[in-house]
Amino acid sequence: MFKRSFSLTRIQHIKRLQSSSSSVPKYSTSFLNSNVSKTTARRSTSFLNGHPAAIDTSNKVNPDEKSHFETLAPTWWDSKGSQRILHLMNLARMDFINEILRNYKVQLNANNSNGSKNDIDTDLYIPRFTTSVFPTEIKKNIENELNAAIYKELQKSELTVLDVGCGGGLLCESLARLPFIKKIDGIDMTPAVINIAKQHQSLDPVLAEKLTYAVRSIDEQKGQYDIVTMFEMLEHVDDPKEILISGWEHVKSNGGILFLSTINRDLISWFTTIFMGEYVLKVVPLGTHHLSKYINSREIIAWFKEMYPLSHEVLQVKGTMYIPGKGWVNHDCSNVGNYLMAIQKK
Amino acid sequence: MFRRVPPLKRINKASSNISTLGSSIVNAINHSKSTTPLLSNYYSTIAANENNSSTLPVKSTDILIVGGGPAGLTLAAAIKLSPNLKHFKTTLVDAGNLSENLPKFHNLSSSAYMTNRVVSITPQNMDFLTGDLNLPLQFNRIQPFDGIYVSDGLNDTSRMAMDRESMGNMVELLNIQSSAYMKLLELNANNNTNPIEIADNCKVVDIVKPSTTNATANGVENTNPWPYVKLDNGETYKTRLLIGCDGFQSPVRKYAGIETRGWFYNEWGVVATMKLEYPPFNHIRGWQRFLPTGPIAHLPLPGDWATLVWSTTPELSKLLVSLPSNVFSKLVNAAFILEDGDMQYYYRKLSDAAVDKRIFDEIIEDIDYRIEVKSQQLINKNNSDMYYVDENYPPPIKDTLEKSRARFPMKMFHADTYVAPRVCLVGDAAHATHPLAGQGLNMGLGDSKSLVSVLEKASSRGLDIGSVDLCLNDYWKDRYGTNMMLLGVVDKLHKLYGTRNEVVVGLRQWGLNVVNNLGDVKEFMMNVVSGRK
Repeated sequence: MFKRSFSLTRIQHIKRLQSSSSSVPKYSTSFLNSNVSKTTARRSTSFLNGHPAAIDTSNKVNPDEKSHFETLAPTWWDSKGSQRILHLMNLARMDFINEILRNYKVQLNANNSNGSKNDIDTDLYIPRFTTSVFPTEIKKNIENELNAAIYKELQKSELTVLDVGCGGGLLCESLARLPFIKKIDGIDMTPAVINIAKQHQSLDPVLAEKLTYAVRSIDEQKGQYDIVTMFEMLEHVDDPKEILISGWEHVKSNGGILFLSTINRDLISWFTTIFMGEYVLKVVPLGTHHLSKYINSREIIAWFKEMYPLSHEVLQVKGTMYIPGKGWVNHDCSNVGNYLMAIQKK
Repeated sequence: MFRRVPPLKRINKASSNISTLGSSIVNAINHSKSTTPLLSNYYSTIAANENNSSTLPVKSTDILIVGGGPAGLTLAAAIKLSPNLKHFKTTLVDAGNLSENLPKFHNLSSSAYMTNRVVSITPQNMDFLTGDLNLPLQFNRIQPFDGIYVSDGLNDTSRMAMDRESMGNMVELLNIQSSAYMKLLELNANNNTNPIEIADNCKVVDIVKPSTTNATANGVENTNPWPYVKLDNGETYKTRLLIGCDGFQSPVRKYAGIETRGWFYNEWGVVATMKLEYPPFNHIRGWQRFLPTGPIAHLPLPGDWATLVWSTTPELSKLLVSLPSNVFSKLVNAAFILEDGDMQYYYRKLSDAAVDKRIFDEIIEDIDYRIEVKSQQLINKNNSDMYYVDENYPPPIKDTLEKSRARFPMKMFHADTYVAPRVCLVGDAAHATHPLAGQGLNMGLGDSKSLVSVLEKASSRGLDIGSVDLCLNDYWKDRYGTNMMLLGVVDKLHKLYGTRNEVVVGLRQWGLNVVNNLGDVKEFMMNVVSGRK
């Protein structure tokens, strides 16, 4: 018995996990895969797989959502206006992307591909949790050296990005200014916001080359990208499963990353994002969110396990919460409220 | 294309060149006479595509630093050293002849001459300069000191000695400027893809904000347009972020329409470089005596040099600067030991129209005599302690370096805010203070450090670094409180010691003695002065 468990292959391991009746609660993929959507039940069947088809599936855009965003378009870039909370969320998104790229996309090798030695000898790399025992001077120096080396390596990469549901282009512009991003394509289904995005792009000369916008659905989009992002977008579409499948196809294999953020479907989310956000504090425009369209982080993780068991790895899931006056603050309860997720394609 | 003749005089002798350099910098930074008047309407607008009066095309840059003083140059070095910021195109503009004067100072082979513009730098800021920026400072020209001795000009017994090892460092401004400049040249030599552009001998003539309509072909309104900076050599720069390190008169601050609040003290400071009779052998410390006319400070420099900052009334400052150097040196000695009455007598005598060599000699003799008598009195009063005078009074001055005397007005000002769309202020452009606590440049260096970390964060988030709301406001929030606190404290100290009101004088003398004996309070004050949080 002992010997056998070690000789199980990876596939068998996964099958075991999926079919075992262990006491660890298993979050069902059925919510994502089923044909009927129940709005409030947390573990109702087949949420993702069974969304009722939108009125016009060929366009894959809900006309109510489209008109809602059309009215928001003119004030999108006013950082003190109705979209202020989105501007603040963009800061948190960028921090998250930076953290993931530095931790998972940068290899500090002792030898470069051409045989020359790096400045940093990775044998001396000290994990963060032990640098605190050093005096502040030395700790600062170690961190500075490490940061400089990581940044130098990151600079060498030239990443391409696809932003699905880019809206007015908050994320696209921020990414376009980073030196290690080579190209960004932003797509959205609402023409008014793409117009605003293009207009705002023209105000900053550094954005001219790298950034392109188009009114296009993800199925029509061609090409493979190092990074695909779907921030605050899945809860606005009628069939998120299709979007996820299509998005995953656009991620380059062997290291490409899919970033997404959306909101868990529970009472606290309703309280914070709809009740407090839209009705009480009015920091979110009315009618932006609908509880029935929220997706739990566990559902997405389980769905990926089912659909792409061997070719994906969930790098990080982080819960995030808006505190008025402070901005978006990250926390570890990714099953409640808003969350950010990064998934890498093997 | 025409170039302005730099305001510095060219003199053959090396020694006087350095000291005039120093005093010229003092004048340039603090006097108002050198700036040309700007357009009276702050927001004169030009259409973005209109041809300027110059025929040169508009150059574009990301960060434009106006002012090559210590704050501006260290900020430029910090930006070029930061991995997140070095990809920004950076330009530094200064009216002085940096490319000639600063390397010359940097290559001085001996510390035979000390310039008269010296500041005290806290240990934290020294770490910033030597550690973070790794500036090639000339350490043989830097003097660390181990404490400050404060006394009251109206009472011998009211005094306080704040002793802490390496409480601060006396550094010449030129030392900081030249080492930062050399660092920038070194970085340019190593980094050929994006060197910093240093436009010296160029004065800022005007800064305009282009009109917001017709900003782009799409007709969309540009709510945050890039400012255009016009230089006197005919060139024009448009920049993403305009940083004003341009001193008290700050054209950048005027462009941004930021008001300042504050006042001129009715006081001028006389600076001088002094040669001591002998180098201090017991403590290397700073000495400050609060005379009724203003504080006089004696600060140590390497070897047997020292620097003087004597704040006094405008008339007296004029008198002091005009005296022959031997008389001046004696007066400085007298000011630290003798009574206020003695000093008043000397001022009166020297202010007379008919002063001549005979009167000067008389006064010198008188001062010598009185100091001798007073020293003996002090020794007798204190258990015949032979070293009493050496312990409690600064080492006497032998002479003052020729042409090192200069004077500048004392003031306290604080800008309402440090940021505006695409503009931020650093150093003296944002705040000015009395030098009695040695905080001026320390605040400026703190500003530079904070601004760089704010810009780094914004750059890592891909933001437009000229945006106030999401980027620049953090800098203002970080620095305003600290600076306001320091300015307030220094101002109150100045007011406290500027009065002859008997009640206040009595209270403050008693207070100083009490604080001298209260370890914790002294500790706290030393922390504030030496920059520790």
